Amino acid sequence: MSRDQIPGLLEEREAYGETTLVVEPGRLLEALGHMRDERGFAFLADITATDYLGWREEARDVAGHLGTAAGRDLNAPSSQGLELLPEPKPKRFSLSYHLLSLEDRSRVRVQAWLDDGEAVESAVSVWPTADWHEREAFDLMGIRFSGHPNLTRLLMDDDWEGHPLRKDYPIGGEPVRFSSAE
Amino acid sequence: MAVHPPAARVRQPRLIYEGTRIPSPIPTVLQVRPELMEQGDIMQINFGPNHPSTHGVLRLIVDLDGERVVGLAAVVGYLHTGFEKTMEHKTWWKAITYPERIDYVSFQNNELVFVLAIEKLLALETPPKAVWMRTLLCELNRIHSHLVFLATAALELGAISMFWYCFRERDQILDLFELVTGARMHTRYFQAGGLAEDIPRGFYDECRTFCERMPHAIDQYESLVDRNRIWLERTQGVGLLSAADAIALGQSGPVLRASGVDWDVRRTDPYLAYDQLDFNVPVYENGDVYDRYRVRMEEMRESTRIVEQCLEGMPEGPWIADDRKVVLPPREELHTSMESLIHHFKLVTEGYRVPEGEVYVPIESPRGELGCYVVSDGGPKPWRVKFRAPSFVALEATATCMHDALVADLIAIVGSLDSVMGEVDR
Amino acid sequence: MAPVRKKRRLADYGLHTERLLWPTTGPSAKGPGVFEQELGELEDKLMLTTVQKAITWAQGNSIWPDTFGLACCAIEMMSIVSSRYDIARFGAEVFRSSPRQADLLIVSGRVAHKMAAPLRQIYDQMLEPKWVIAMGACASSGGMFNNYTVLQGVDKIVAVDVHVPGCPPRPEALVEGIIRLQEKIKAGVPPAYDIRGVAS
Repeated sequence: MSRDQIPGLLEEREAYGETTLVVEPGRLLEALGHMRDERGFAFLADITATDYLGWREEARDVAGHLGTAAGRDLNAPSSQGLELLPEPKPKRFSLSYHLLSLEDRSRVRVQAWLDDGEAVESAVSVWPTADWHEREAFDLMGIRFSGHPNLTRLLMDDDWEGHPLRKDYPIGGEPVRFSSAE
Repeated sequence: MAVHPPAARVRQPRLIYEGTRIPSPIPTVLQVRPELMEQGDIMQINFGPNHPSTHGVLRLIVDLDGERVVGLAAVVGYLHTGFEKTMEHKTWWKAITYPERIDYVSFQNNELVFVLAIEKLLALETPPKAVWMRTLLCELNRIHSHLVFLATAALELGAISMFWYCFRERDQILDLFELVTGARMHTRYFQAGGLAEDIPRGFYDECRTFCERMPHAIDQYESLVDRNRIWLERTQGVGLLSAADAIALGQSGPVLRASGVDWDVRRTDPYLAYDQLDFNVPVYENGDVYDRYRVRMEEMRESTRIVEQCLEGMPEGPWIADDRKVVLPPREELHTSMESLIHHFKLVTEGYRVPEGEVYVPIESPRGELGCYVVSDGGPKPWRVKFRAPSFVALEATATCMHDALVADLIAIVGSLDSVMGEVDR
Repeated sequence: MAPVRKKRRLADYGLHTERLLWPTTGPSAKGPGVFEQELGELEDKLMLTTVQKAITWAQGNSIWPDTFGLACCAIEMMSIVSSRYDIARFGAEVFRSSPRQADLLIVSGRVAHKMAAPLRQIYDQMLEPKWVIAMGACASSGGMFNNYTVLQGVDKIVAVDVHVPGCPPRPEALVEGIIRLQEKIKAGVPPAYDIRGVAS
């Protein structure tokens, strides 16, 4: 997959055996259409929106283990007392499309990075199954999809305010009282 | 059981609604045709969140022209529990209890997918015994799920006695789960690294007895409904979904295989011990309710064979990985080893940390492709967990299957898509 | 009906214990447990006549539940209908789909806020006398979900008679809950909305 072919491709990453293609949000629909038509990814498995608000803010506990299953790598020693922070992310939201090609059994993730309030084009015309996935992303994360035929709340009440899965939305619930404490 | 070539390279025109049965640019909604609205006598009925077909809290707003369904919209969210947000606030270890309750009929598959995602990020090797035991339990869970499907689908179509027969076997499976894990449902047996405890004595014999009985039980079910005239008339030719539509609508699992596409994640992306096991994947072509039922019946037989093979091939050895950074040390060691004590303390109080990264792990749950997308920031709690639920996607196909359906067919079709609302709403 | 004044708790009538596991050793190995004794005394205090006893006997022995399965507990509720944990032998012969024909609402599963309104609507459609069992941890108190969307206990919107703990409760546990409810009814204890003085 070279940079010339996929429209809007910014970066291609390989990690944990998975390929992630980062594309510009403005050309996302083109890129998805290209993936379906030219590359044969006819199956959209999942659309996931992730909120990275607060990423990197908390310093990781330096005494904690941040190695691998085999233990700490002596050639890449741990923090040495410095803060260990994860890699910074370009924008607040990431939108990941998990695609599957039934013919060559390969999977790929197409990712776009969005700011709060930035809208992206809906993929319903490419894969009809994107309908509810996008409604869920809108409902729980507040990402708007332009061109979506029916962008309304799906899981929460119709008149719910706020987008629950965002990091600045509180977990809610009630404080638990223990009878032994009284 | 023919195999159709997968329709991956279907040259779909940009406006894909022509030539398919996908109803409209809003694929999940069947809209009443305007001329029918004016001339016909359309009645809008609410199949409310509480209704006798025991699929949980699904609401269907149905427009009827006499007995014919001409409009359909599904409203979900009545069981939205906020799993994903709650799991972000729990440590990795504690978060494992949550996925089970998402798809509460095939609970161990949900546990498995989350644990596999954690292990992928940790690059943790599970010992072979744990791998085979997980395979065995997941296949038992597949049988359990298909039994519940058969019982409830038959119940709604009027074959009420199937309910009692299927639940008889289901109780035997739950007895097996209780024998191994201590709980009937929501067993919480899979840990990052293997199993929580060793397999108790007596399990293998009980499991073998079950495997001997199960094929006869499936024969009994088939003798009740398979050539039953009423069943055939109510299920054949009803709820048609073509292969191209199924792929476009993201269907997977039995619904996809009943439409003629030979796709099973256990075959194509083998996880656990599936690459060492010999099993068939049933594929039927017609894409109607009857074929989906047949696919599930065959899958029950295949799962029984897989369980037998797992019993034969179960290796000896440890049941959990040895990595003390992630797995609790054995209790005897706490008396003698200082490091074990410290590991134990850190694991119980703070929990283990999973390296930074994002993974997507798909498995074949009884409903289709169940995927778990996990983002970790290197800390003790997950940053984002998303479950790709097959039932969520199956409900999107309801409107397409519902073309030219009668009210009675509506029940059969919704039953055949086998959606569990816990998964849909998460 | 017996003159039960509202806002008096069952403890005021002498009901202090809950039945423990049946004692198998000791002096009370074969006799009635403490719960049964207190129920007997309760009957005297509530001054039930023979006709009322007959009525409550009939009500208790033929409770028909409503099909209100929400989540995982619903699967265990289905298994009490099955032949192993047969609940028909306790009188719950059929699960009625229409709340108008049901006596008992077994709220089995987590109640999301979106579902709270339909739940209350179903409860309102049931005819008196009606009873509610909150099955499982989620219905009793919100369970393991303490968040923005799960109702922390269904007794916030309906009056609950019996809470059955468990996640999910074993079928035997639910049957135990139904039997206790039956004993409660036969003792003449009014349904929960009467005791709490809430709208039914």
